[in-house]
Formats: sequence, C-alpha cells, structure tokens
Amino acid sequence: MTPGIIVAILAVRIRSFYRQRSTVFFTIAFPIILVLVFGTIFTKPEHLNFDLPVQDNSRSESSARLIEGLTTDHAFTITPVPVEAEPTHYAREHKLTLLLVIPKDLDALQKQRLALRDTSVFVPLTYIFDPSSTSVNTKIQLLNMMVAAANQQASGSPPMFNLIPTSILSDRYRFIDFFVPGIIAMAIMTSALSNALNMNAELRQKGILRKLATTPITRADWLIASILYQLILSVLSTAAILIVSSLVFDVRLHLSLFPPLLPLIILVEVIAFVGIGMLLTPFAKEAESASAVANAFLFPMMFLSGTFFPVEMMPGFLQSFAKILPLYYVNEALRAAMIFADIAAALRSTGITAAFAAVVFVAGTVKTRWGDEGV
Amino acid sequence: MPDKPHAIVVDHLCKRYGELLAVDDVSFTVKAGEVFAFLGPNGAGKTTTVEIIETIRKPTSGTVTVLEMEVATRKADIVRRIGVLPQGFASFDRLSVRETLRFYARVFGAGKGRRADIDALMDLTDLRPKADAQFKTLSGGLQQRVGIAAALVNDPEVVFLDEPTTGLDPHARREVWEVVKGLKQRGKTIFLTTHYMEEAEILADTVAIISKGRIVAIDSPARLTETHADHLRLTLTSTDAAALGLIQQMGFTATKKADESIHVPIKNANDVRGILAELHNAGLPSPDGLDVRKPNLEEVFLKLTGEPLTAGAGRESGATS
Repeated sequence: MTPGIIVAILAVRIRSFYRQRSTVFFTIAFPIILVLVFGTIFTKPEHLNFDLPVQDNSRSESSARLIEGLTTDHAFTITPVPVEAEPTHYAREHKLTLLLVIPKDLDALQKQRLALRDTSVFVPLTYIFDPSSTSVNTKIQLLNMMVAAANQQASGSPPMFNLIPTSILSDRYRFIDFFVPGIIAMAIMTSALSNALNMNAELRQKGILRKLATTPITRADWLIASILYQLILSVLSTAAILIVSSLVFDVRLHLSLFPPLLPLIILVEVIAFVGIGMLLTPFAKEAESASAVANAFLFPMMFLSGTFFPVEMMPGFLQSFAKILPLYYVNEALRAAMIFADIAAALRSTGITAAFAAVVFVAGTVKTRWGDEGV
Repeated sequence: MPDKPHAIVVDHLCKRYGELLAVDDVSFTVKAGEVFAFLGPNGAGKTTTVEIIETIRKPTSGTVTVLEMEVATRKADIVRRIGVLPQGFASFDRLSVRETLRFYARVFGAGKGRRADIDALMDLTDLRPKADAQFKTLSGGLQQRVGIAAALVNDPEVVFLDEPTTGLDPHARREVWEVVKGLKQRGKTIFLTTHYMEEAEILADTVAIISKGRIVAIDSPARLTETHADHLRLTLTSTDAAALGLIQQMGFTATKKADESIHVPIKNANDVRGILAELHNAGLPSPDGLDVRKPNLEEVFLKLTGEPLTAGAGRESGATS
C-alpha cells in the first residue's frame, strides 16, 4: 500500500467523474430531484391553500359571515360563482373538483331555526364534487370540519371535547423528514454499486487492468482508492441533499457528527456496496450489462428497504424480507441518528450493516483477481 | 556476449489451462540491448508467454528471469524496471494525454511525473500537439503512441510491445517503427510481439517463431531465411494458359494464384533457363513478367508452422484469457 499511488488513482477517478456529466447527474442531481419532487407531493395540506368556489344564492349578511368562517386560518380561498350558473354544469365546465352552493333562503331558514328553536329545520349546504379527483377527499374533510365548527358556534356553547396533539418525537416529524435519510442512503448505495460495477467492467473490457497489473499498483491500493473515492462522492451527495432539503422544505435533521454517527454510517454503507459491486462484477463483464445488473439489484432494494415509505406499510412477509436487506439497516441507522437522535438504536443498525459489509467486502476481495487470469 | 548479461532468460516454461497446454516447454534468451521479435499465429501461446514474462500471469512450471530476477518471486522489483505496452492498449477515456502519462509516472514513485519528464516523453513519441486531448478522442495510432509513452514513464531497461501496430494504417505503423528504432538507439532491450513479418524484418535483431506452444525457430531474420531457404521462387505473369500444365509436367510443383500469375519453387537459376526454354520450344509466347527471389520471413513462417501469420488478429487474447 503506497499513499502516493492511492492519491494518483484518486485524482484519475475524480477527474473522470466530473468530466462525465451523466455520473455527476446521477450522483448529485438525481437524489436532489427526488427530494424536490416527493417533498412537494407529500408536503402536509396545512401548508396548502385550497381553492373553494362558492355560489352564494343568498347574498345576505349571514351568508357573508358563513363564507368568512370558511376562510378561518386560511383554510380556503373563496372564489365566487355567478348565481345564474347551473352549479353542476359550471363545475364540469370549469374543471372544479369541489363547489359549494349556499341556498337562496339561508336567511329565512336560519331565523326559523334560531328564533323558533325548530330543530327539524336545517340549512342545506350542497357541495358538488368530482370523485375522480385524488385530492377532493381532503378538501371535503376540511369542509366538513369547517361546517362542524360553524354548527358548534351556532349552538352557543363552548366545545366539550378538545383534541390535543402530542408527537412521539421531540420535534415535528413530517414525511419529508422521514424521506430525506432514505434518499441519502439510496444515493450512496446507487453510486457505490454502479461505480464499482462500471469501473471494474471498464477496466476489464478495455484491458486497462492488464496495463495496471504491470505497474507497482497493488490490489490494496486500488481498493482503498475506490473506497476513498466513493466516500468523497457520498459526502458531496449527502451535503447537497441536506442543504437543498433544509433550504426548500425546512428539514432540520440531526447531523450526528458528535459522536460521528453519520460519517460512520456512510463509511460502512460504502464498504458494503463496493463489496457487493465486486461480487457482482463477474455478471457484468461489459460496461453495458453492468448498469443492467446494477439496476436489477438496486430497484428491489430501494422499494423494499423503506426508502420511499416505511417498511411497516408492507405486508408481513415483505417486512421479513426487508430485514435481510442491508439497505434496510442503513435506513434504520440513518433515521435513528438523524430523526430520533437515538444513538443506541443507530449503533445497533450500523453494527448489523458493518457485519454485512465485512463479509461481502472480504468475499469480494478474495473473488476479484488482480493479475493472473483475472485480466 | 559474456560481458553483457541476458535481459530475459526463459527456461523450460510451461503454462497449462485445464486440459490445454498453452505453453509447452519453451526456452529462449533475449540479449540486453537487442530487439527481439516474437512471432506466432493466433493461439500459439505467444501472448501467454509474454504475459508470464511481464509478471501478469504465473507459470505452471519452469523459470523466467528478467534482469536476473525471477518473475515468480520478484514481481514488485521487476515491474519497476520494465515497461509494457499490452495488446490493444486502452486507458481512462476522459484523461488527457498529459494526465494519463502523469498518472502512470506517479504510480512509479515520488518525484516521477515532473512536467519536464512528461514533455520529453511526449516529444519522443511525437504526442506534444495532443497533450491536452482526452484519450477517447485520439485515433488508434495516437492511442497506441500514448501506450508506448506510458510504457516508458519509468525509464525501463526492457520494453515489451505486444502487437504495437495491429489495427494501424501503414503511415501510423511506420511512425511507431521510428519510435521503436529510437528506443533501440537508447540501448533499451525491446521484446516485440507482432503479426507483421515486415515489422520483424525491419526492426528485429532476433526472431523467435512459436507454434502450438513450442518454439520452432529462433535466429536473426537473415539467418532464418538463409537456413530455411532451400528453394527460390519464380513468378511468371501474363503467360499462356497452357504454361501451368507444361511446367508441372517438368516436375515442378507450380501453382496458379488469384491474379493469374504462376508461382514455381525452384532450386537455382538453371531451372529458370530450363522452364523458359521449354515454353519457347512449345511455341508459347514469352511471359511479360518474370521474378526470381529468395523466400522472405513470411514464407519461412508458413513453412515452419504450416499456418499463415496474419489471419484474424486479436483472437488469441479471447482464447487464452
């Protein structure tokens, strides 16, 4: 093992990296795009301002008060619908998913109910909705809540039951907070595995290995340089993901640098997937088949290990299967460290990943031949 | 040459791949400072032998010493004093010529890869104008010269060139030859593997011919042709169609080639006179063209191995690796 040689190899690989746009894209930009897309889709509705078209046929003081109530806490933004329009037709025409109709006799009905205490009388508030819309249910629920609140207010007595939310987490925990550590784990895995496969295939296919075998470079030099190179990429990609998710979605995760859990988890994950890459190399002799082999391995891993959604959402047998996948433990470790700041749990999952990494790395090193017949 | 030690000594070398004996009891020596050409048809064990000498492969039995060091035990020391252009040299696509050479120089140790050294290497191989071009953008000839330059970064005593001109056009081939001649003048020992007889005739001091894993001949190109030239070759062009049969009736093994010329192996100049007289007596017109020459290495090779040399370049690596 010679430090000078390792530095020389690192320089070659880093140059080759930034001169190839597609690898830069998949290593740095792709995970960020995933964070942006999924973050936007799954951000909680409290941050969304719903549009609610209302046809106010009453045009009275009470209807104005009712409409004002719907805009409490900026729940809905009201857009008026002309009274002469036929509501169902209008909704279809303007592609509205939800439209509220306030009856003409709102005032009269309200007076009858309140003044005469006639409980058989009620005000029919009709809503026209499009059941094919995926977001309409949330809007309808919100509308129900707002109407229930209005009813409560109209009854004149303060509410009897109050819901008080208390999170199991010290801080607010949203989907995006869950999602970001998963993307970090995924980005490191994808980059480590595909780079290991592609580089090995390229070295072999083009015969570069034959040349390297006649220089003082040893296999140890090459492996250490590969791991250092992957570590540099992983740190870059992790930093980029954290910065973007913090700026765009205000994600505040524990960086876990003291004790250095995050760097430890990244190191262990890199070794694990570089090792898997070495083991898969015999199946990816050419650069073209290397990416196919990598994908065949990466995609099931990604979806079954809780990258995009919690493993608990899957059926039982898939959950058991997830628990033999190394990425599952990386995800567990990262979430324990970054979301829950649970050092013990993070170390437990890291330990399992490390044991796995040691096995595949040693096996990969033994199987990969550097000189004789390996060329 | 007792004062100069041999650069390479191969002694009873064998290499077995399962059932296949790729190299079968091969022994030869390469003198320091000479250009040694290794010729053989595809699958003859040529590249396997070279790669064992280059320390890439391990011998099954026998010994190989390079610069008086055994390949089996002193790989690390040997690689520092040899330079290798592997068959079908390729390098990292996105590195420039200068970066590629600096990389190979740096792996040979601290202080290597200085700008001046790299510049000198690029001058030697005439790569200076392409110093900043990325490897993948270079033509085959230029890539090959990068490979030769990369084989020289450690100022090696022995340079291995495995088919340095395969796939190159005649112009690029001649340029590579010039580089090789320059290396020889600098006193390097050069071990050249080639498919091209012309290359061996122009460059080599010694030629070894390997066939089916065994060395069948080893000598200087001139002595090889002399030793194996037990006949001259007469070529007649634009002769009458009846000429072939007539010459065969005289007892010569004449053959007609695709271009309608007639090739006749003969013993001496008297045979030429005899054949021409016979054609004249039969009333046939004199041939338009007439050529008598000694056989070249190509024919010696064909005679010794029973196979042509140049067919299907590149198959060998697939068969043995």
